[in-house]
Amino acid sequence: MTQSRKRAYGRRIALLSSGPALFGLTLFLIIPFLLAFALTFTDQRLVATDSGRFVGWRNYERLLSISYVVQDPQPGVQGKPAFARVRDVTRADPVHRGFRPFSDFSWGQKRVTILAKDPVFLESLLNTFGFALMVVPLQCAMALALALLVNAGLRGQTFLRAVYFSPVVMSMVVVSIVWTFLFDRDLGSINKLLSLLSLGTIGPVNWLGGRATAMPAIALMSAWQGAGFQMLIFLAGLQGISQELYDAARIDGATAWQRFWNVTIPGLRQTIAFVLVVTAIAALGLFTQVDVMTQGGPQNGTSTVMFHAIQRGVREENIAYGSTVAVVYFAIITLLILAQQALQRRWSK
Amino acid sequence: MGKRCGIAAGLALLFALGGCSDQRRVDGRIDLSLWRHQAGDVEESAGRYAIARFEASQSKWHITPQSLPQGGYTQSIVAASLAGQLPCLMTVDQPMVASFVQAGHLRPLDGLIPAAVVAQLNPAAQGRYQGHLYSVGQFDAGLAIFTRRSALDRIGARIPTLDHPWSLAEFDDILGKLKATGAYKYPLDLATRDPKADWWTYAFTPMLQSFGGDLVDRATMRNADGALNGPAAQRFGTWFQSLFVRGLVDRREPDDRAFVTGRAAMAYTGNWWAPDYRKAAGDDLLILPPPDFGRGTVIGGGSWQWAISSTCAHPNGAAAFLRFLLRPDEIARMADDAGMIPVSEAGAALSTDFRRGGKSRAFFDLMQRFARQRPATPAFSAISNSFFFALQNIADGKDPHDALDDATDAVDQAIADAGSTPAPQPGKVRE
Repeated sequence: MTQSRKRAYGRRIALLSSGPALFGLTLFLIIPFLLAFALTFTDQRLVATDSGRFVGWRNYERLLSISYVVQDPQPGVQGKPAFARVRDVTRADPVHRGFRPFSDFSWGQKRVTILAKDPVFLESLLNTFGFALMVVPLQCAMALALALLVNAGLRGQTFLRAVYFSPVVMSMVVVSIVWTFLFDRDLGSINKLLSLLSLGTIGPVNWLGGRATAMPAIALMSAWQGAGFQMLIFLAGLQGISQELYDAARIDGATAWQRFWNVTIPGLRQTIAFVLVVTAIAALGLFTQVDVMTQGGPQNGTSTVMFHAIQRGVREENIAYGSTVAVVYFAIITLLILAQQALQRRWSK
Repeated sequence: MGKRCGIAAGLALLFALGGCSDQRRVDGRIDLSLWRHQAGDVEESAGRYAIARFEASQSKWHITPQSLPQGGYTQSIVAASLAGQLPCLMTVDQPMVASFVQAGHLRPLDGLIPAAVVAQLNPAAQGRYQGHLYSVGQFDAGLAIFTRRSALDRIGARIPTLDHPWSLAEFDDILGKLKATGAYKYPLDLATRDPKADWWTYAFTPMLQSFGGDLVDRATMRNADGALNGPAAQRFGTWFQSLFVRGLVDRREPDDRAFVTGRAAMAYTGNWWAPDYRKAAGDDLLILPPPDFGRGTVIGGGSWQWAISSTCAHPNGAAAFLRFLLRPDEIARMADDAGMIPVSEAGAALSTDFRRGGKSRAFFDLMQRFARQRPATPAFSAISNSFFFALQNIADGKDPHDALDDATDAVDQAIADAGSTPAPQPGKVRE
């Protein structure tokens, strides 16, 4: 066989072997995504049988439009500046029709209100990235700690490994319901325990009902549920570090901490990168916990992009708009990944 | 989104492959396919017996029933319609009727069920859209205030009647006194733990209406502005928020046993809880009308109903089954077997539980007097979801006026969008 024929043969084999996977990816990922992309330019409903009409960029415009109003203070009660209700302003002015207040700040005496046609999407976007920033370090640290514990050669480590892994195989819905009970303000075990440990000085915390605590509570619970999976990956990584390195470090008189910092961590660099990426991907898709535990509340404090897409697309049957949310989210994440890779390339140079 | 659509697509594929033909015969009878949502064992077996009785009552039609999970029921219908495999008969949640009609799934029942039969049904049991009848209910569900006589006696509260329900001031006073006894952390259970928009809309729209507001302007059905965010609706929103601020209602009940265990003095819930509550409270149990918040007491009407698909090859057979279900003795059977509220006076009279003096008669009287249907509009899902989020935000402390304005804008946009797709010709049936 000549070189070129050999190469062609190899290409055929490669194509044949990757065929089943490519077929699945095309059928379940690429085609649905292209369909979703096409849907974003229509007013397709979920229940209707006929396909929707072409509406141009309307869905994008409704999703992404941002504006602002500047208000002068009116003479208020007791010297405090008062402002007209923003909703009254936006509903009266045709220019601001369809806009809702997203956020506001003071500019000297004036009040500036940022308006958006879909403020819930913007809040959801911030919430989702906020969740990822909380859960990724927490979950990875927990996973690494568990892996080190299980790998330490203690007695019953097989049992411990099974215990730590068990939340992963539990249904997320079940885990969420159980944690809703644990987080309950009046009857939940977490508040009872806090009160017991603090001798009653810590009053009942409204974990899922407070804006400040709802998302951290969900992050904590998600990290607990998911850490077992990353623990297994870390375990595999730990077992790949040569024992000789530890022995050499010990002969050099390294303390346990030094061994961890100078042998274990460098040895796990690839694993850590992989685990961070996997956890971040899972975090950006946060949906089930929110749907079961808070339904996006309190006041959209835990609404995530996926939750918003399902609300609009499926529950309100506006599949075209739901698709638009998904497509825009996809674009944002793609941009982030490209930026991250560009930065990485620059660093490694 | 992915999972649900996947199921729907899978179902569509399944039915396309299954390819059940229209002219299937079973024992020499013409077969009619029937889909129903899974609604619990009691209702399920009651439905099975009704089908058996129908088949015994005549020799022309046979029915093949199939139960589908309630969660994905709508998606299943959509998938089946895409595959051209809609069943002949199906159950439809009443608020979804308009949406299904708009999508062309349902056949008008006007000529198929005699007007005299329809006339004896409560208005809430008739699923009408744009002047045509598309679905009929064999039963209804209804909400009431459940409480214990001893709890009211303890604070010296008046026991309300159908003619004189509690007023807003009275109701507030009673809740405050119940709370003041110290026996209840949250005296009223509103099932706020339910995460489904359906419940919040079903339970609290009647209160909004009793205050004088509504989900949409019922005169035009074209917009929510003024109805959902007007002064009456704002009064409702402010009061609703105050329930949580004053600690009268738990924002998130840990379970649904607050009344049974005595944690709450009062529960606002449906007739389906009556058996458990009777067991827990015995003769102490009171089933009371919801308060009159100013414009008369209102209870949501219209439960799961029956409809015939637009592609059904034998509408006469399907209609024969519906006419059978609407016979007073069948309505009475369903009421007694499944504990559902009968939808006609004649049906109630034949039932053991719902006839005058029967143990569940209170529910029938409540529905006869106070039932009001949810608005028949294809935008109902959007309306329901928007109202749900407004209520959740209000309960969590958002300014009620702002929250209701948000919902109003969303509803108005949804209605405008739904109207932009041409409605099918009334009475025209898609082949």
